[in-house]
Amino acid sequence: MVSFATISPLLAAGGINAPAIPALGWISNSIVVAVIVTVGVLAFTRMATKRMELIPGPRQNFVEYLIEFLYGQVEGIVGKHVAPKAFPLLATVFIFILASNWFGLLPGVGTVGFGQSIGPVSVDPSFKDEAGNYTFVPLLRPATADLNMTLALAVVFMAVWFWLSIRELGVWGTLVHIFGPKGGLHGALKYMLMPIFMFVGVVEVVSIVFRPMSLSLRLLGNIFAGETLLHTMAHLGEKIGLPGWVAAISAVVFPLPFYFMEILVGALQATVFSLLCAVYIKLATTHDEEH
Amino acid sequence: MEGILQTFGLDWPKFISQVIIVLLVYFILSKYAFGPVLAMLEARRSRIAEGESNLKAIEAELSRAEEKVQGMLNQANLDAERLITEARESAEAVRGQKTQEAIKEAQSIIEKAREASRLEHESAMNELRRDFGRLVIDATSKVTGKVLDDGDQKRINEETAGQVAL
Repeated sequence: MVSFATISPLLAAGGINAPAIPALGWISNSIVVAVIVTVGVLAFTRMATKRMELIPGPRQNFVEYLIEFLYGQVEGIVGKHVAPKAFPLLATVFIFILASNWFGLLPGVGTVGFGQSIGPVSVDPSFKDEAGNYTFVPLLRPATADLNMTLALAVVFMAVWFWLSIRELGVWGTLVHIFGPKGGLHGALKYMLMPIFMFVGVVEVVSIVFRPMSLSLRLLGNIFAGETLLHTMAHLGEKIGLPGWVAAISAVVFPLPFYFMEILVGALQATVFSLLCAVYIKLATTHDEEH
Repeated sequence: MEGILQTFGLDWPKFISQVIIVLLVYFILSKYAFGPVLAMLEARRSRIAEGESNLKAIEAELSRAEEKVQGMLNQANLDAERLITEARESAEAVRGQKTQEAIKEAQSIIEKAREASRLEHESAMNELRRDFGRLVIDATSKVTGKVLDDGDQKRINEETAGQVAL
């Protein structure tokens, strides 16, 4: 009997916490995926750039196209002067996030793992223990669906951002840039508005402090929500009580449109993360008129 | 804040391991991918710029060469026209000279022919005189029946020659 009253979101990978894989100690499934993605990205780029030639082969051509495109975008935002220093980090962030996001869409990621057995090869992803925690531990989980990874990306970015800011403006220049008067004010007006600019500086510092959180939680939320959506759609047939074979077909058909959406979301979130990073660098390294 | 982070699954060992992974990717990609690829793109860009500059130089050189060739062609045309004119003039001069020479030679031949004719005429006249003198002597000796001596023959010859000359 079909019943829509039983529908509830099925959290991806048993919850927002990335659980440790039982056989690997504290190493979580997202760390495993992060390592796989790292090895994959590095192996591909190494293969493409090992014997570079003036007339490139297909792999070298693809990597050159990607890097040239990204460099053009970065240069357009941060400017010609800062682009060579900012590009490696921004490109790394973009490529790594994109690869991690799309890796999460591969069949088996988030669905194959350890848990309460409900058949010879199946586990119950909705099974909870006495404490109310999900017991399903997927073997693989998208690295960007784990706060540890998204926060790591944001913290590394903020460290490089801080270094670039100090390198470009100096310590005093950075303080003036944050707390100093803006808009090229001179004379009495400049001193009259000084308290306002100081207050704006404090607000700016607060916003800077919260940037790692906003960057990491935005990415985590989007990717984890996408995973949850796909899981929910895959189990929708069972949840509403469709017959076995229809539920099996619906487990393939229902999530299909959302896979295409998640491909888009994966690219979009990689773009948003790296674009925001580029804008933060641009804001911090822009020389004011009076500097 | 700590509570929020733990709710979302923050775990320091996992976080630090992810930071290490991100830093590894960052450094390795910077060293082995972005650096060489950007250097290659720059090398290609400078090569294209060099090619463009060479192309412009070649085009300028070609233009100069074409101008030079055109100048040489014009000069060659002028030279050819001058040579033709000179040849024509020279031919005219040679023709006039040859004509004059031919006229002179023809006149000389005519003079020679005229002289030869005159000499032949004189020789024939002398022969005629001698024959006529001999005939007169034979006729005289036959008519007179007298054997003429040398003095008579000489006198008759001179008289006959004088009359024939008249």
